[in-house]
Amino acid sequence: MLVLLFILFAGLAIGCAIALVAQRNPLYSAISLIGVFISLACLYVMLAAPFIAAVQVIVYAGAIMVLVVFVIMLLNVEQEERRRSRLGFLVPAAVVLAAVLVAEAAFIIWFVDKSHATPTQNISDTGLTSSIGSALFTKYLLPFEITSILLLMAIVGAMTLARRIKEIPAGAAVVPGAQVLPLHMFDRSVPLSDTRGVEAYGTEEVAEVLDLPDDHDLTKRD
Amino acid sequence: MVPQLSWYLALSAVLFTIGVVGVIIKRNIIAMFMCIELMLNAVNLTFVAFSSFFQDVTGQLFVFIVMTVAAAEAAVGLGIIIAIFRNRESLDVDDASILKF
Repeated sequence: MLVLLFILFAGLAIGCAIALVAQRNPLYSAISLIGVFISLACLYVMLAAPFIAAVQVIVYAGAIMVLVVFVIMLLNVEQEERRRSRLGFLVPAAVVLAAVLVAEAAFIIWFVDKSHATPTQNISDTGLTSSIGSALFTKYLLPFEITSILLLMAIVGAMTLARRIKEIPAGAAVVPGAQVLPLHMFDRSVPLSDTRGVEAYGTEEVAEVLDLPDDHDLTKRD
Repeated sequence: MVPQLSWYLALSAVLFTIGVVGVIIKRNIIAMFMCIELMLNAVNLTFVAFSSFFQDVTGQLFVFIVMTVAAAEAAVGLGIIIAIFRNRESLDVDDASILKF
């Protein structure tokens, strides 16, 4: 029974992975990748790791893939075009290296198979949320905290990379994803009826765009 | 008969190889990004398999950290992709082969 389930989910994962590479439309690739994530979550459940399975579905199939699909839709991605390969002379070397890789992988798997690691038949609490949580907050507290710093850096980096500053005329088309604020929010001398906007991020850049003096503090409104 | 540890390792190797092949042959930058996610997941499967078979929770904590790194990578990577698209109106990596212009 477990063998049948393993074959089912492993086949699903490999099939979806091949579809991910073979598709030319990035949106179909994203959907295939979600299939890989779901089947891997099922394999995690079979490995008695329900917490990781839940996190896999929530974080990967939920958050990250929503972000990817959002960007695909935002950028209106066209189909990938076929181009002539410039590295055709490397094909023989690739075949040889692939054979070496397969041999290495086969050796490692044979070695592991020989070591008689028996799957747990009795009920184990290794994968339960409580055991993961207690390990995470005692022995592995420092990596956990460093992880939070990493996430903070990612947030700041993503904001810095994706920002864009430009003064736009009234009625102009705006690039999707840019933040547009009305001009009078930044300069009191502009009347409220002025419909011009500013694509901006942060007050200093706005001061630069509007050519305001350096000591002009935009956060103070007198 | 139950699935052995080596089965999971073989599956993980296959998925990782498909991810590597995807990174090499794909030209769309978002598709390459998704292939990198596939490689991270293949490694995660290895960690969970070892953790389960040796009854040690450390492997699953590694998976936790890898998922965090993947989330950070998704945020920063997609920010870079949006910046590249604004500059070049293209997502083809061959169009972004020069860093400066």
